[in-house]
Amino acid sequence: MVMKKNILIGGKAGQGVAMTSALLGKIFVRGGFYVFNYRDYPSLIRGGHNFNVLSVSDSPTFSFEKSYDIIVALDQNTIEKHRSNLRDGGFILGNKNLRSKNLVSLDLDKALSELDLPLIFGNNILVGYLAHYFGIPYSLVSEVIKKEFGSKSHLVEKSIKFAYQIDLHKSEKIYRKRRAKYFFSGNEAIALGALAGGLDVYFAYPMTPATPVLHYLARLQREYNILTVQLENEIAVINAALGASFAGAKTMVGTSGGGFALMAEACSLQGMSEVPLVVYLAQRTGPSTGVPTYNTQGDLKFALNIGHGEFPRIVVAPGDAKEAFIKTQEAFYLSQKYRVLTIILGDKHLGESHFSFDDIERPLLKPKDFILRKPNKNYKSYEFTVTGVSPRAVPGLGPVVRATGYEHREDGITTENENEIIKMTEKRNRKEKFIEKETNKLNPCKIYGKGENLIVSWGSTKGAILDSLNYLKSFRFLQILYLRPFPVEKVVKELSKAKKVVLVENNSTGLLGDVIREQTGFAIKKRILKYDGRPFSPSEIIKKLR
Amino acid sequence: MKELNLLTKTQNTWCPGCYNFVILSAVEEALRELIRKKEIRKENIVAVTGIGCHGKIFDYLNVNGFYGLHGRVIPAAVGIKIGNPRLTVIGFGGDGDTFAEGIAHFLHACNTNPDITMVVHDNQVFALTTGQMTPTTEKEYKGPSSPEGKKTNPINPIALALASGASFVARTSVFQKDHLKDILIKAIKHRGFSFVDILQPCITFHNTSSYLKERIYDLEEKNHNPRDFKKAFNRALEWNYSLDEKSSIPIGIFWQEQRKTFEEDLCQNQKPWYLFKRNLNYKKLISLLR
Repeated sequence: MVMKKNILIGGKAGQGVAMTSALLGKIFVRGGFYVFNYRDYPSLIRGGHNFNVLSVSDSPTFSFEKSYDIIVALDQNTIEKHRSNLRDGGFILGNKNLRSKNLVSLDLDKALSELDLPLIFGNNILVGYLAHYFGIPYSLVSEVIKKEFGSKSHLVEKSIKFAYQIDLHKSEKIYRKRRAKYFFSGNEAIALGALAGGLDVYFAYPMTPATPVLHYLARLQREYNILTVQLENEIAVINAALGASFAGAKTMVGTSGGGFALMAEACSLQGMSEVPLVVYLAQRTGPSTGVPTYNTQGDLKFALNIGHGEFPRIVVAPGDAKEAFIKTQEAFYLSQKYRVLTIILGDKHLGESHFSFDDIERPLLKPKDFILRKPNKNYKSYEFTVTGVSPRAVPGLGPVVRATGYEHREDGITTENENEIIKMTEKRNRKEKFIEKETNKLNPCKIYGKGENLIVSWGSTKGAILDSLNYLKSFRFLQILYLRPFPVEKVVKELSKAKKVVLVENNSTGLLGDVIREQTGFAIKKRILKYDGRPFSPSEIIKKLR
Repeated sequence: MKELNLLTKTQNTWCPGCYNFVILSAVEEALRELIRKKEIRKENIVAVTGIGCHGKIFDYLNVNGFYGLHGRVIPAAVGIKIGNPRLTVIGFGGDGDTFAEGIAHFLHACNTNPDITMVVHDNQVFALTTGQMTPTTEKEYKGPSSPEGKKTNPINPIALALASGASFVARTSVFQKDHLKDILIKAIKHRGFSFVDILQPCITFHNTSSYLKERIYDLEEKNHNPRDFKKAFNRALEWNYSLDEKSSIPIGIFWQEQRKTFEEDLCQNQKPWYLFKRNLNYKKLISLLR
């Protein structure tokens, strides 16, 4: 039988909920468990109510249930809000001043004054208590703390060591030898995927939930010799990214829906100028400002259609943090090779949740910039070729290099001539067929499970669907990663084999359903849609399908 | 020595007699002189243009070019400079382009001081869209979008640039080609954000030739000191871009200072990124995900 514990950690913003759950998550992973860490927070800086849910299991887990085995309460409000979701036999862990049934209270104030540590270290005592409760050897905890806290680790260790000496109210010694080795968020994966893909310069304007990528890369920039640049608005960001790419840097921008809307015109400039660019679009609940720190898969068609005029582009939607790492590397390779816009379509749930994995494979493609080092003197920026991809040179090498938003001849000079318009349009359009050949080799869609019925979805719903498959033996799951070029043949094959097809999406109108209908002619009638800003839990899907 | 060809053979579509021909010729001569004196290299020049009559200069100059979006010359130019700090990046914009659609970028570039040159073809009108008012058009101007006359005063880009911290602020005009060429040379040589406002009538929609000609005077003749910020500001306020009868119009360098540029402050890497070898260890990288 699968062991799975859902642990909620809640408190006010500023009390260290996210830090505490991330630390506990890392300790569980080091202790041999698979962990999924969900983060839920309102749009405010101090006060309010934040919580994380750690799903801890002895087999892979990518989602959580709203039914908690343990609630770690950093304030009374956490108890009031979540007590009704405490499972029978579960307990609440917190400071002595809290009031509740099933409360295991620790006298944190007394402990901290004895230890001469500030208030925030109370969280570490709670972490230590739980690590001890689940039988994780202290040596492993110490290892994690040394790695995470560096020069401050002795203080953290002091508080956790203390916790290991507290008498446990009971215990569940389920510690096992190591399995999962990696534990990271989608946003960390995008940032490091960009690094691995050859990123030189990241341009951004802060916007939830893409901002952590900016923060993370800014922190790494000296060590990895990259650059992060924050400019005055998203329009400046994307135009500068195109400029830097024109000059030969591999560039990426990151934003959410509102910022991406401001970038629309420059996406179109990308289409005409064929200057390579990678965009990370982290969706959040819209329309407009919407619910800024919550999740909806509402921007699929926006990403597929952004920019006026017709031009090829790539849209790829990773479903978990490991896919985010791999697909971001592919995005860099494909953008540079085909001189196209690649949009990495993520969302808040993917970006800000932590996932655990046994291993990380190498990507199928190696980073490359495809820049001619010695262009000949007759070089033309938009030379006609069989694939539609003109060899790319950059300024400074000798021959004149041009990028333009006007329709143009091979040398980049403006044209309004009808034959030249046709030829250049066809050159650009031709690229898409060759991109598709390449993306078809990059697992544009994946199948999980063996049932005769089919669940179809994309992006961050993957976790809950995968976890629900364990209880839905008659279903298999088709995850579509490359949404443009759309893997028509593979999708049609799966749809036609299936006895019953169900669409699962974290939005209110079933956007992927529309895209599938447009691309394949299949209309999927049975749909499970969720649009309350929260991700699916497996039980919600299971209930609808059983 | 063979004469460097800095012009393409593309058919020119500016109106016959357009003052943009003067600007094109001055730009060509300025670049040629800078190349001859080995101040810059031809292959490192990038002309960045917006959208409007001025933008056609992209097609006529035989140098690297980025024909970007209306109003977005400055961020594209900043990006190009970050992408390869060795390049000589010269932005060309119109007054509508720079001061209407792109005003935010203009203010921030004055403040952050990227080492680029921004040349504004300031004819005080939207010409390629047939004569609507721009932010520098005078009050009471009657155009197709303002048949009852423009209701507001023009903005003063020189004062705006000074107030926003530009490190090189100059005005010139198409009536003094040598002056225009000389200012362009100094602007391009300046390390930092150089702003050059070129006064230029639009002979079709906004012909201010006689007004401008009668009032222009050279700051150098008045012994203006471009290191004196207060005096620079006072000179900037002598003309407010209206067609006021009493004004006189100073041209020349109002203000110049040396300070750190945006990209030298940002970039640890001062060479082109594409020449940069980064020996990434994949194993080490994924160890960050543990």
